[in-house]
Amino acid sequence: MATRDLVLSALFAAIIVALGLVPPIMLGFIPVPITAQSLGVMLAGVVLGARRGTISVLLVLVLAAIGLPVLSGGRGGLAVFMAPTTGYLIGWVFAVITTGYLSQLLVSHSQAGFVQTVNFFVAALFGGVIVLYVCGISYLALITGLGFSKAFMGSLAFIPGDVLKAVIAALAGRAVMVGYPLLPKRA
Amino acid sequence: MRSLHIDGDSALHRLPAGVKLATLSVISLALFMIGNSAFLAGAALVGLAGHTLLRISAAEIWRRMRPFALIVVVVALFTAVFNGTTEGLIALFRLAALALFASLVTATTTTGDFIDVITRAAMPLERLGILKARDVGLSIGLVIRFVPEILSRYEVIRDAHYARGLKPRPVSLIVPLIITTLRSADEIAAAIDARGIRRQK
Amino acid sequence: MDIHFEKVEVRFEGRTVIHPLDLALNGRRVGIIGLNGSGKTTLARMINGLVKPSAGRVTVNGFDTVERQDEARGQSGFIFQNPQNQIILPLLREDIALGLKSRKLPKQEVTAAVEAILDRFGIGHLGDRRAHELSGGELQLAALASVLVTEPKILVMDEPTNQLDLKNRNLVERTIHTLPEDVIVISHDLDLVAGLDRVLLVHEGRIAADGEPGEVIGQYRAMHEGKD
Repeated sequence: MATRDLVLSALFAAIIVALGLVPPIMLGFIPVPITAQSLGVMLAGVVLGARRGTISVLLVLVLAAIGLPVLSGGRGGLAVFMAPTTGYLIGWVFAVITTGYLSQLLVSHSQAGFVQTVNFFVAALFGGVIVLYVCGISYLALITGLGFSKAFMGSLAFIPGDVLKAVIAALAGRAVMVGYPLLPKRA
Repeated sequence: MRSLHIDGDSALHRLPAGVKLATLSVISLALFMIGNSAFLAGAALVGLAGHTLLRISAAEIWRRMRPFALIVVVVALFTAVFNGTTEGLIALFRLAALALFASLVTATTTTGDFIDVITRAAMPLERLGILKARDVGLSIGLVIRFVPEILSRYEVIRDAHYARGLKPRPVSLIVPLIITTLRSADEIAAAIDARGIRRQK
Repeated sequence: MDIHFEKVEVRFEGRTVIHPLDLALNGRRVGIIGLNGSGKTTLARMINGLVKPSAGRVTVNGFDTVERQDEARGQSGFIFQNPQNQIILPLLREDIALGLKSRKLPKQEVTAAVEAILDRFGIGHLGDRRAHELSGGELQLAALASVLVTEPKILVMDEPTNQLDLKNRNLVERTIHTLPEDVIVISHDLDLVAGLDRVLLVHEGRIAADGEPGEVIGQYRAMHEGKD
């Protein structure tokens, strides 16, 4: 791996950690504050693409595993990997792979700005919401013996906030692409 | 960023990190396979008792476990309501025991020891040409190094909003944060290369 | 130092950044001045192999920076414009030790070398501090320590006084004059450059003047005096 890719991945991991430490951001049109860390996972995919994005998310998980309080709310340590919500953490990896891969596949520099934003949204929604919830809910259902439908009901309340994060990730991803393009060119 | 490690000289502190991690995975597997609430309650008690080795106050133990307590209780209640009290109790004790044992390993192992274990575990991957094992420690160090810088940068960007009478919005905060941070990647990478840090010898 | 640029040219994205030039650097302390974008940083980065010539070759103490990159790099250390970006591990002591890691030295030797370099710059008390807590001057000294611990023979500094207050600027100036290593300094700080042995003026990718500091600086001033 080129040194620059290693540094980009590490810096993005640091951004994801930092987003878990800043006070929750209030959105203008809904009265609920959102924690920005899972937004960071979507952003890693749309900004860095699949490979580097995945490395940055893995780095955050490794840091958490080795006892650093890098997850939102100052959580960390091996216990976060032995909790009912662990599926969402593991899901981050699949979420960023999907978001990154779809971003590389769908978005190109020749598209109009609006099209790019919509494509980033599709990538972030599919990876950062659908894939993430499939992982999180399956794990919750299996580990607690609740069954899928009940686990799904228990997670439902968080979905609107995460769809909003996909919107933010899409707008930010497109803006970063204009200001400092990093997404690998389509193969 | 302070690690959740707690200094000490207990038997658990002295045990090699690799042994602790292997034991933890065996224990967690066993906890999943055993569906007896009395046994699981006993396991949770052992995990809790283990925390006395850390020589920290009960309040400190509670502070460390609090982030997990809420989610464990919520999930246990949810399970109890839908699948009955027995299942609820099993979930409660199992999840509590898992969190407590994991927390013990975290508290008694230093970041440096963990990095050594990971670097050794990565050696087979290095032989397969997937990654350089030493990059793992370097990357972890880089993240810890730059989190505070990014937080300061975030504050500067937020204050710049206020100074111009603008309300900070997620996109207008995050975009400059990402761009200014990633722009420094080139110079950081050049510094790493110039110092010959990733040279393979 | 013994650095040779032989028919070196650098093109970047269709633009010529450095026009073909021959240059030998062998003094003790050399300064490079010129406008932003004139090509002075590119010139300096070639010494460490961070920029590769599009044509020609650069040798440092006899090592070609492309063909024998590791050895050539070992000859020189590079201090970047923003010292913040070159301390890469959280604790200063860890960061300094990192440069020695690829040498596979025994732990005691690494520790001894780190302590010696911290002492040399009088920053032993900063060893266990976190990099983001250090002031601009402290960071500049820390960057020097992290680079010089590997004992390069030549030190290249890009704008070392750029972001410093007067006190720290003077500290860095004194440090440059007392370094036993040969030094190449790129700077807009003409007072700093005036104290060196030789100065190059780079203009639009060419060496416009080369010689005694007073003369070259005078020429630089004359070129841009009263012009916009």
